[in-house]
Amino acid sequence: MVFQFVDLRSDTVTKPTESMRAAMAAAEVDDDVLVNDPTAFRLESEMARIMGKEAALFVPSGTMGNLISVLVHCETRGSEVILGDNSHIHIYENGGISTIGGVHPRTVRNNPDGTMDIGLIEAAIRDPRGELLYPTTKLICLENTQANCGGRCLSVDYTDKVGELAKKHGLNLHIDGARIFNAATALKVPVDRLVRAADSVSVCLSKGIGAPVGSVIVGSSDFISKARRLRKTLGGGMRQVGVLCAAALVAVQENISKLEEDHRNARALAEGLDQIKGLKVNVASVETNIIYVDFLKDSNSTAEKTSKKLKEQGILLMLESSNRIRLVLHHQVSASDVQYTISCFKSALTGAPEKNGF
Amino acid sequence: MIVKSPQSQWLLSWEKVTFEWEVSWKLKEQPSPNPPTSNPTLFNYKPEGGSDHCGIKLIIGFRVSLLLSFWAATGCAIGLLVGEVLAEMSSRIIDLRSDTVTKPTATMRAAMEAAEVDDDVLAHDPTALRLETEMAKIMGKEAAVFVSSGTMGNLISVLVHCETRGSEVILGDNSHIHLCESGGISTIGAVHPRTVRNNPDGTMDIGLIEAAIRDPQRELIYPTTRLICLENTHGNCGGRCQSIEYTDKVGDLAKKHGLKLHIDGARIFNAATALKVPVDRLVWAADSVSVCLSKGIGAPVGSVIVGSKDFISKARRLRKTLGGGMRQVGILCAAALVAVQENVPKLEEDHRNAKALAAGLNRIKGLKVYVESVETNIIFMDLLEESQLTARELSEKLGQKGILLIAGSSTRIRLVVHHQVTTPDIQYAISCFKGALAGALENGF
Repeated sequence: MVFQFVDLRSDTVTKPTESMRAAMAAAEVDDDVLVNDPTAFRLESEMARIMGKEAALFVPSGTMGNLISVLVHCETRGSEVILGDNSHIHIYENGGISTIGGVHPRTVRNNPDGTMDIGLIEAAIRDPRGELLYPTTKLICLENTQANCGGRCLSVDYTDKVGELAKKHGLNLHIDGARIFNAATALKVPVDRLVRAADSVSVCLSKGIGAPVGSVIVGSSDFISKARRLRKTLGGGMRQVGVLCAAALVAVQENISKLEEDHRNARALAEGLDQIKGLKVNVASVETNIIYVDFLKDSNSTAEKTSKKLKEQGILLMLESSNRIRLVLHHQVSASDVQYTISCFKSALTGAPEKNGF
Repeated sequence: MIVKSPQSQWLLSWEKVTFEWEVSWKLKEQPSPNPPTSNPTLFNYKPEGGSDHCGIKLIIGFRVSLLLSFWAATGCAIGLLVGEVLAEMSSRIIDLRSDTVTKPTATMRAAMEAAEVDDDVLAHDPTALRLETEMAKIMGKEAAVFVSSGTMGNLISVLVHCETRGSEVILGDNSHIHLCESGGISTIGAVHPRTVRNNPDGTMDIGLIEAAIRDPQRELIYPTTRLICLENTHGNCGGRCQSIEYTDKVGDLAKKHGLKLHIDGARIFNAATALKVPVDRLVWAADSVSVCLSKGIGAPVGSVIVGSKDFISKARRLRKTLGGGMRQVGILCAAALVAVQENVPKLEEDHRNAKALAAGLNRIKGLKVYVESVETNIIFMDLLEESQLTARELSEKLGQKGILLIAGSSTRIRLVVHHQVTTPDIQYAISCFKGALAGALENGF
């Protein structure tokens, strides 16, 4: 039995490559709190340039990237932010914008494609005349790609429209761009054009781009200056952080071009799984590197049992519910890993004896 | 005879008849590509912590065989030695701004390169687990969690102990948490601070702490006191140590009133070293401790919070909420493990160096240092009127000589010693201060 290890739990599992490890060991560093670590400075300058914004700030995680962004845009007590009801900030960040930041969330329904209806967003903006009873809307957040909707991309056109709406009402626009490079790749647009309408973007480098740690917030100089201060307050001011930034620089230079292959692999995996009796994958909605797989009633097994069997075959995935699993592709999952995965699913679900996984 | 400095190292080893030396000038900071092997020889030796001090390296190497060239080369060596000392004087950097400036050593860099890692949010990064297990053991607590900074260590600790809305914490009016952490416990954590005066030795009077504890009978108008925070060593009081006896007394007081005790132990290893006590005994009375590894211990990044399993479990969750959940964080933890293993024993020398520096500066006309209060690695120095210099002016003059320090006010300067400041550096620093104050700068002599 040929045993392969295929980690599809998330693109956060990517391990640092040889070139990243070498860069980390050799990194030029300094105290990033007292002065500016030179490698952090290089990364931040590069990311600001790539994203078409004035400045950037390295942070330990996407959660901190979003938390800081929301809190800086909503620095006045009594603020409200509009965001998707299925967004990562709302569901998976411990409610930190409220519990830590004192900001009130106003959710708008996410469509299956990750967007929110522009009309519904506008309707959610608080009328300033009601300020005696209302918090003050300060910010709209988008998420691109939208993870819970299956890695769906928001187009340049849609993003610009939301940006115009924000401007019309004197609001700011933040994009949770954890996987913004995936979006730009899939849409075949320059990433700076994609986020042009946004006042700030939080970009993860530790996901598909493959750095071991970190995200970068980009925005105006003034915004980033406030962000840097809040980062310190939250405890994210690290000292010789150039060690991590060196790996992140390598990641940005080497791995963005690999995302297209991740998307091809995801589509191949989605198609292969959809053909298996008992499973359903909405192949048309697999735009980037995330796949949701549903277990149909007539399936031979449950999501949980299948996960366990696959784990024995070396395949790790995320159990979403009793009949849904999530798979995420990344550059450390190859095309042959994808074929292996499909065959393991087949044998797990058809109950056929395992013959070398094929 | 061994002559060492941050930028250049010579080994004139008289045990072997061969000798080797390496000369490096800091012309421009560049990354140094090769981590050293365990047996430094001419072609791969690097000064400790110097991998980013070495710019364009000029390596003059002679591997001299037994008899013939030995004496001829000795003459060259001595000539080069004198020349290098003179050249080096103007390019030497002695960073006394803080012990946070410590750069990762060669062994730390090698450890980072080779670190075994995994996603520390989805699972548990194995190197993070090793570090956290080791730190819990060293500190005598049940569990530990690695965090990105001491600020986060304290913020999480206060917020977990004070998880109920309407909480108050008692802490020193001169404490780091109160003065230098952006008021985060309130602005981020909604915890109310109640300060008690810090004595010059870093303690707070036990009676005053007790008086500050809110009477539950008046809860209609009072927040609820939940926590007392100590700081050991106390940074703003000059790196002063709090004894086991004092800490235990505060712990007893906390227990008597149903409160918790947190120690901001950013420099707790310095305290244990200076007091000559085991660190776990020193913090025994505490429910939690935040320990910095990026200060005198020399790791590039991070602190560790230690406490009970239950506490650490909540701390881990809050760490994620604050955005401190890092993925393949074993890279940083690998360096931190090396730091803990290698650098704790070096603290004693830092303290000796600090005392020597304090004594030397105090002898200079125009300066005042309270030498007897220099217990660890921090020195506060006052500029007297007769010096005719402000702290900023003095900082600038010394900066030109490569000595970096922080002016705390118009007349006060803080100096912090760490393992990347050597004994010769101390002597050089003293001579530069002398020169600056004498009003004549002649190559630091």
